[in-house]
Amino acid sequence: MSPRSLLGTDQGSGGAALDLSVRIAGLTLANPVLTASGTFASGREYAGLVDLDRVGAIVTKGVSLEPWAGNPSPRIAETASGMLNSIGLQNPGVEAFIAKDLTWLAAHHPDVPVIVNVSGHTCAEYARVIERLEETEGVAGYEVNISCPNVEHGGMAFGTDRYAAAEVTSACRAATGRPLVVKLSPNVTDVAEIARAVEDAGADCVSLINTLLGMAVDTETFRPMLARVVGGLSGPAIKPVALRMVWQVAGAVDVPVIGMGGIRDARDAAEFMLAGATAVAVGTANFVDPATVTHIVDGLAEFCRTRGIVRVADLTGALVTD
Amino acid sequence: MRMPMCEACGDSGNRDMAVEHVVVRSNDRVCEGVGLMVLEAPATASKVRPGQFVHLRIASDREFMLRRPFSVHRAHGGTLEILYQVLGRGTRAMSLTQREDRMDLIGPLGHGWDIPDGLTHALLVAGGLGAAPLGMLAEELARRGVAATVVMGAPTGERLVARDLFERVARRVEACTDDGSAGEKGFVTVATHRLLDEGGFDMVYACGPEVMAKAVAGQAFEAGVACQVSLERLMACGIGVCLSCVVATVNGQKRACVDGPVFDAREVSWDVSEIPPRH
Repeated sequence: MSPRSLLGTDQGSGGAALDLSVRIAGLTLANPVLTASGTFASGREYAGLVDLDRVGAIVTKGVSLEPWAGNPSPRIAETASGMLNSIGLQNPGVEAFIAKDLTWLAAHHPDVPVIVNVSGHTCAEYARVIERLEETEGVAGYEVNISCPNVEHGGMAFGTDRYAAAEVTSACRAATGRPLVVKLSPNVTDVAEIARAVEDAGADCVSLINTLLGMAVDTETFRPMLARVVGGLSGPAIKPVALRMVWQVAGAVDVPVIGMGGIRDARDAAEFMLAGATAVAVGTANFVDPATVTHIVDGLAEFCRTRGIVRVADLTGALVTD
Repeated sequence: MRMPMCEACGDSGNRDMAVEHVVVRSNDRVCEGVGLMVLEAPATASKVRPGQFVHLRIASDREFMLRRPFSVHRAHGGTLEILYQVLGRGTRAMSLTQREDRMDLIGPLGHGWDIPDGLTHALLVAGGLGAAPLGMLAEELARRGVAATVVMGAPTGERLVARDLFERVARRVEACTDDGSAGEKGFVTVATHRLLDEGGFDMVYACGPEVMAKAVAGQAFEAGVACQVSLERLMACGIGVCLSCVVATVNGQKRACVDGPVFDAREVSWDVSEIPPRH
């Protein structure tokens, strides 16, 4: 279907059932709205506030081989239309994750796909987390975090160099046959180059963007607002940058793209899909309104219905540029 | 018998939380830089326990969007009282809020004050706006027939917030001010030291600047009296997800939003170098 016909007025849905499902990396998701890693834990804390069964997929908080303590406080600062964070991937390690989070999800929400975000200091550590999770049920796929700006070793160090990005992707690819998503950093000159490198190394999908490096200063105390001085900027402030990068990457790789960065309503989500994303993720907005994901699912359905679009997947890449 | 663990929230105390759309009943200046907001919030008001907080979405403009956590000062007749200090952008927006304005909150949240059975005489220590989470506690102690002595501290007599409430329900209220304009001149820790020396207390409840809370916790420990402290941290989610509000404890890092804000003082690994939140 061409973009023009998608917007045609003469081909209304005629009452046909709306199809919200999308396919990424061999997975069929009931809808294209995911949770962004680190903003939703594993969903358990949100269970009283959100219908978790309506989330397209839960992308978990980053999981490492051993427990990580994270960074000193203050760890967050609010900025115009966004927030800075410097959490530092604090997490209890893969064993605790399996015992607490995966077990709980399997017992209470067995039908929600769970994509486990994986972190490490070295390629081997990333692979070992995946190897351990390969022994468990209830994992739909992995998202490899090569883009966290808040850790000294690993994280963004892998995501800002195409050789390192390819190396960690290869190590993870060798560890699993499950769908493998690689999460990209926006803190690079040419994001498409990194995307192509991880695609060549075996990634089934790329997700972007992680946070943009940023900083804020308290003019009363002359101190940085974050203990670690710099941190990752998220929220609506970064949406135009994210959208641009999703558009660039979607044009550069053949694998599907999960778009994120400042999404808080269905129109934002539609922008990312039109720019080339197959699915989207909601991050910071979860902190403000815990029901954002389900509101966007409903809003996307409405968005499609009012435009006579019968498959939400048809939005992907339907940007009209001529 | 142990309470069964909440399926939804795991080990957190947030089993009653919900989003509630609330209406501002009143929003008045209490003293320099301090306001008292009364919210019509029947669902939360019926569930909240002393020391818990609500996560309030204040801003009507969308440029600054994070919620702000506030201890509940009092809850009665379907309303919540929020005592707040204007410190940053969020609380400045809050001070401009008017009667009939609408907002929403997530609450009630967090682990509040523990009131053990058989408590006879509690010492409540309020440094400045630390009075906020102690108001509801003082009322609950009175309801249960537990005697309370309150020590309050502020820069000036005018800024001894919630003094009337404490004088109504507590057995004794002692004030300390930096300028001596009311009560004793000096820090609350002078009064608390004297009172703990005199003895007769079986619990200390403290909230205020972290240096004060740490000092009071030390005095309580010396006196052999159990002590709980309510700690303040910057928060994004308020429900245990984002890990912004971590508190270092002897049992590892805990989250002020679900494991606290009230902690057993012996559990806290005090680090008062932390910059006070300007939110």
